[in-house]
Amino acid sequence: MHTVDEILDFAIEREQQAADFYSNLAERANSAWMKEMLLGFSKEEMRHKGKLKSVKLGDRLLNADQHVQDLKIADYLVDVEPAEDISLQDALIVAMKREKAAYRLYSDMARAIDDPELKTMFLGLAQEEAKHKLYFEVQYDDQIMRDN
Amino acid sequence: MSLKDLISPFYVWQRAFEKPYTQKRPIEDRPGAPRYRGFHMNSEDCIGCGTCETICQNHAIDMVPVEGLEQRSGDSGLRPRFDYGRCCWCALCVDICTTRSLRMSNHYAWITEDPDAFHFTAGTDAMPWNQNSLGYRRDDDYHLLVHERIDMQALGAEESVAGFDEVMKGYTEEQAVLEADRCVECGICVATCPAHMAIPDYIRAVRQRDYEAGLRLLYETNPFSSTCGRICTHRCETVCVMGYQGDPIAIRWLKRAIVDRVPAERYREILGDEVVENGRKVGVIGAGPGGMSAAYYLRRQGYAVTVYESQARAGGMLRYGVPSYRLPDDQLDKDLEYIRSLGVEVKFNTHIGRDVPFRQLIEDYDALFLAVGLNQPSALRIQGEEHPRVLSGLQVLDDVASGRDPGVGSKVAVIGGGNVAMDAARVSRRLGADVTVLYRRRIEDMPADPEEIHESQAEGCKLVQQAIPVEIKNAASTSQVTIVWGEAEMIADDKGGRPRPVLQEDRMHEETYDCIIAAIGQGGQLDFIPAEYRDRIEFKWNKFVPGEYQQTGLPKLFVGGDIANSRADAISAIEDGHHAARGIHRFLTGTLDG
Repeated sequence: MHTVDEILDFAIEREQQAADFYSNLAERANSAWMKEMLLGFSKEEMRHKGKLKSVKLGDRLLNADQHVQDLKIADYLVDVEPAEDISLQDALIVAMKREKAAYRLYSDMARAIDDPELKTMFLGLAQEEAKHKLYFEVQYDDQIMRDN
Repeated sequence: MSLKDLISPFYVWQRAFEKPYTQKRPIEDRPGAPRYRGFHMNSEDCIGCGTCETICQNHAIDMVPVEGLEQRSGDSGLRPRFDYGRCCWCALCVDICTTRSLRMSNHYAWITEDPDAFHFTAGTDAMPWNQNSLGYRRDDDYHLLVHERIDMQALGAEESVAGFDEVMKGYTEEQAVLEADRCVECGICVATCPAHMAIPDYIRAVRQRDYEAGLRLLYETNPFSSTCGRICTHRCETVCVMGYQGDPIAIRWLKRAIVDRVPAERYREILGDEVVENGRKVGVIGAGPGGMSAAYYLRRQGYAVTVYESQARAGGMLRYGVPSYRLPDDQLDKDLEYIRSLGVEVKFNTHIGRDVPFRQLIEDYDALFLAVGLNQPSALRIQGEEHPRVLSGLQVLDDVASGRDPGVGSKVAVIGGGNVAMDAARVSRRLGADVTVLYRRRIEDMPADPEEIHESQAEGCKLVQQAIPVEIKNAASTSQVTIVWGEAEMIADDKGGRPRPVLQEDRMHEETYDCIIAAIGQGGQLDFIPAEYRDRIEFKWNKFVPGEYQQTGLPKLFVGGDIANSRADAISAIEDGHHAARGIHRFLTGTLDG
């Protein structure tokens, strides 16, 4: 049986992995603004990591019942490969799909577990990831689909 | 002396015991008549246009800044201050008020021992009559101003879709003067125009039929006046005070009225542009409105200017993205040829990075202005997008501008709601297609110009709103394509932005077309800038973040246009070019830090 702290450690590690993913991609990116952008994504993941660390010290996660809007943009866009010549559009797609995958992971874990405290923790983490996905979907809506 | 004379003073005393003949409090308030012209009141609808100050015959009104009131788009931040030593209560100020914010209370008594007290700012200073519900108001059917715009002759929808002739035909001289005569010269529009054009002044020039003066005024801030007289986004008109009770002044058409009456051959003589070489040279990347605007103002300062353009002709998106029924080629050429006539050299078909290294430009020129625009169409990134019958809106417009047939077929779906989408739709109509525009949001959210939306509908384009494309599929015929789209519900944006569409998976539709034209947005392409330079430049999302005078972290490099501003329209690019030209001049003369 896992403890709340172990779950938070797992989530913190995932945020670190995401931050590393974007900073590695930034290093390989061959366009100036994409480097900036991906480093920005990496910083955003580090911010999430910081938030989870503070939860471990006693702060609260998002309430599991709190509504986070799902724009569903990630649902109907195709998967893209994070290549060196990645565009802003594709970087945003990668980001929103990663957040969606994380949301699903925590939601599935919450469904699979009976312990009410752990269930609440997973649902809270899922809500956090839903919020992150919304951030990228809003950016996609504003930056890429300006005329749509 | 008689006895009567002696006792007569005592008769007075008998009056002392009678009721007084005078009023005990002669200045006791008595209510004014319901429509009495008493002290002024001003509501929060006031935008400080100053028309009241202009019309006041006694100079009793001064427009003054008010503490806590900021100047903003459409509001001067000033409010009328009244001097009741001068006011004659004629109410002309109330009758002319463009927003109907100014009124008069029926309050008429103001007693104070301070002779300087009879000045006050209506609507701002706390006065006892501020909430007065009675007093003089302008009658609804009494107008000192003309609220209806003078219509411009235009092709009807049927005539319009029959070809690529310019739809709007321009004002006659009489029409232009009548329209110009409606302007109250408040100047509220100037702050909103990205180029801060001298709008009231050039409208006055139209009124006075002095087109030479008008042209000089236009070129102070905008060397694309023939172009902007036709396709400007005319933000100025959105704040025009005449729009509060009627139609805003047709500022864009009045700009056109000037340039339409001055032949290109007379420009040099009228504008008096004499170039005195200063021995410095500036490179410009991109011959669109931003690049050529910078080239014009730099050349006037004596710089040797070379413009590098990847296309075969100058104009950028104005040439390849705006169809000729909105902007005929000869009108764009009128602007461009004058700029080139001053000695601006344009190297066509030259790609920076491929044909000329960026490093060479940075090293060879004293300064560089970059305005390459947003010319990379955003992909739909939905399943099946690679279908050969999915075309890009920019490509369709480029084909038409270059005399090629884009092959849209007879039944077309256009995806998007911006000007590129509207133009792709209207071009397709002219090529004989039935056109359906699928847009994710509502018509009122469309970023396209309202005129474009209206005209596309009038020309027979069908607009389907709240339609989200989710998949492209093969149709039964290889020359056709099927699109799957779902209906959207709109949700409010928490931060006050445009409402956001959310797909409703249970309300899906499928339709087959000869082609699908995608026009959902554009991005930029800056891979030609080597890493050693780009690391010193600030970007946000897919755009430059320029500093003062459009300068970047690479001191020699100045940037502007769609790739460096959020407005992404021609007039903003033109202003960026002008602003950068001033910055480059300061940079090269040592008054701007490098």
